[in-house]
Amino acid sequence: MRALLYLQYQAFINRQASRLKRLKKPKYLIGGIAGGLYFYFYFFRFVFGAGGHRRATFDFSPEHLQLVQALAASALLVIVLLAWLIPHGRAALMFTEAEVNFLFPAPISRRNLIHFKLLKSQIAILFTTLFLTLITRRFGAAGSGWTRAFGWWVILSTLNLHFLGSSFARTMLLERGISNWKRRILVLALLAAFVSVVVVWSRHAGDSLSLPNIEDFPALKEYFRRLTSTGPAPYLLYPFRLVVRPFFAHGATQFLLLLGPALALMLLHYLWVIRANVAFEEASVDLSRRIAERMTAARSGNLQPRPTKAKAPPFRLSPTGSPAVALLWKNLIAAGQMFSLRIWVLLLCSLLPMMFVLASSFGSLHFSYALGFGAMMVLIWSLIIGPQLLRQDFRHDLPIVDVLKTFPMRGWQVVFGELLAPTAILTFLQWFLIAVAMVFLTRLPDVGGLAFESRFSVALGIAVVIPMLNLVLLIIPNAAVLLFPGWFQTGREGPHGIEATGQRLIFMLGQVLIFVVALIPAGAGAFVVFLPFIYWKQYLFGVPVASIAFAAVLAIEAAIAIFALGRIFERFDLSAEA
Amino acid sequence: MIQVEGLTKLYGEFAAVTDLSFAVQPGEVLGLVGPNGAGKTTTLRCLSGIIPPTRGVIRICGSALAEDPISAKRQLAFFSDEPRLFDYLTLDQHLAFTARIYQVANYRDIARPLLEELEISDKINLLPGELSRGMKQKLAIACGLLHSPKVIFFDEPLTGLDPIGIRRMKNSILKRAREGAAIIISSHLLHLLEEVCSHVLIVKGGRKVIDGRLEDVRHKFAEESVDANLEEVFFRATGEPESKP
Repeated sequence: MRALLYLQYQAFINRQASRLKRLKKPKYLIGGIAGGLYFYFYFFRFVFGAGGHRRATFDFSPEHLQLVQALAASALLVIVLLAWLIPHGRAALMFTEAEVNFLFPAPISRRNLIHFKLLKSQIAILFTTLFLTLITRRFGAAGSGWTRAFGWWVILSTLNLHFLGSSFARTMLLERGISNWKRRILVLALLAAFVSVVVVWSRHAGDSLSLPNIEDFPALKEYFRRLTSTGPAPYLLYPFRLVVRPFFAHGATQFLLLLGPALALMLLHYLWVIRANVAFEEASVDLSRRIAERMTAARSGNLQPRPTKAKAPPFRLSPTGSPAVALLWKNLIAAGQMFSLRIWVLLLCSLLPMMFVLASSFGSLHFSYALGFGAMMVLIWSLIIGPQLLRQDFRHDLPIVDVLKTFPMRGWQVVFGELLAPTAILTFLQWFLIAVAMVFLTRLPDVGGLAFESRFSVALGIAVVIPMLNLVLLIIPNAAVLLFPGWFQTGREGPHGIEATGQRLIFMLGQVLIFVVALIPAGAGAFVVFLPFIYWKQYLFGVPVASIAFAAVLAIEAAIAIFALGRIFERFDLSAEA
Repeated sequence: MIQVEGLTKLYGEFAAVTDLSFAVQPGEVLGLVGPNGAGKTTTLRCLSGIIPPTRGVIRICGSALAEDPISAKRQLAFFSDEPRLFDYLTLDQHLAFTARIYQVANYRDIARPLLEELEISDKINLLPGELSRGMKQKLAIACGLLHSPKVIFFDEPLTGLDPIGIRRMKNSILKRAREGAAIIISSHLLHLLEEVCSHVLIVKGGRKVIDGRLEDVRHKFAEESVDANLEEVFFRATGEPESKP
């Protein structure tokens, strides 16, 4: 066991030492400073009383505390139920391949391997505890930071032990001929029986416990509070309450009083796990192999799970023509089945009529307004988040940049080709949203009704600008990849932790700044074009025409950037980054 | 066909390749030999345009790689030791993609016999994840040969292949050479190089130790009257201690 402790301790120390050593590189140091400042100002100064200035915190009244505890206990119950319902494999402890190769053939008892596994999981639990404490304190939960942290630790550790114990129990059931489906039916039957008891009891409780109107929120709260504090439900929730109670403790004394039963429950879980005599080795070896494969794929830049099913190409790729289109074709396949032209046509032909039917059947303007306004919101959101989520470009292909470099293509062709897929996907999605907004946003508050011509004019204008906006938005992160490839390493060797957060923050700020700068000439161009239309009061024509000017300036900017990035790609020396 | 003059590649202060010059003519197979860290892979990566050389001129079929990379790259194929494939493209989609990149209008006519020769014609709808390592290597070869390259670079081409695969690979290399391709093979398997190479280039510490026709090199390093085999040549040329069993 000492050897296992040594392995765990030394692995932790070495990992931290290499992270500290990495801070010698400016890119990690700057990222580390930015990340540290972010975490301090956003989280830490609200925890453990740091910084002197405390945010207003919320505290629960006894009734509310009871309700919140019941909600937390119910959430825990659902998580535990899922652990019994969903998994279908045999018990497998997560070890690395190196651990499997060293520890499994070594004269180490199964119990010691479980201890090692529990010890390892404590590191992840402690980090999660810290993170959750930061989050909950950030958003104003009252009480001491230490009791909250300890509360989280109790919840997470007990859950961890329960998951392990349930995986052993599931394996034992399988060994005794009880299949996954039989087990699931049994668990569901038990749940159904208990729900029936609660329902029957609540019926007999009379009017005092009848389900209130769903819009009456205070009554609904009171109903749930009573349902979980009287009758049979509290008995079911009791063990779960024991686990969550320390988190909600007021002060150290109450915390220590509540901690006792929670720790006792945790000890029972520990004994359950440690006494289970279940063979987990074979399944663990298989799991470690799968994880190693996934990590290898991640190191080679493929963060998505390895595809198991071939995808139909989005269109037929002819063998001649612009080679940049081949990159679009390849990246659309990489993006998945959802992004084929056929799916988009089907989507348009089915969803739009369905929305019409819904809007007319509800007969209310509110529904149309909600639909139209929602589409506009998603459109704006997609401009901000879309380029970060859709990464079928250099960010995806950076690890195979050596393959791209052997292609007989000009640098700008490769850059352009790489940008096409996410631009096309985003554009199609946003055009769809524009169509929805144009159809349903028939009035605006403080403006009143919007004529179809006005809506069409604005929608057309936005639709013209959107592709170029997407292109410019996608050029920025791709330029960052080519200019600072070391910052975009993927997989386990890639940056983690505070310094990675800092790097992302710096990039995000840089992207916003560059985007704003890119918009200035385009906006100026569009304004100049729009001026005569203001004079003639021909706004309906002015908006699309000015949008064309806006898009044209953005296109020129994008072309300049693509050619410049092409030159960088041609001189790109990945060996210098290694 | 392949002309290299004064190729130098520096990684910061470290010189991976220094002032390397050699040429490979059509039909010749050059074995690139050297101990670990000699600069073999760096040389091949420079020749295939993956990394830019610090100094020197590389010509592929008369086109300077630095000035006219498109023409030069159209003529070459590079096969790394680990097949580099796209996880999400099937075998057939790999071929369609490669054809478009290299503008091979009649790629179906070329692909059919190629796939049959490599014995993967029944796997066209499979993803790389569904193929064995040898099959992946074959797919990479099919993609690389689709545009009928006149210059071919192999970096450890036999890694992970079974004896049948090794035999087929050797035959395939010799076939391409007979058809007029200029080929460079980097490998530590000296017996393989001895079987397929017409020429040899030995490098150590990024510098050329010797190059020339295999027979001439063997003869030069022969002790007494018998020609040395390539393994003996390697040890004698590089000055590495030869530990005999």
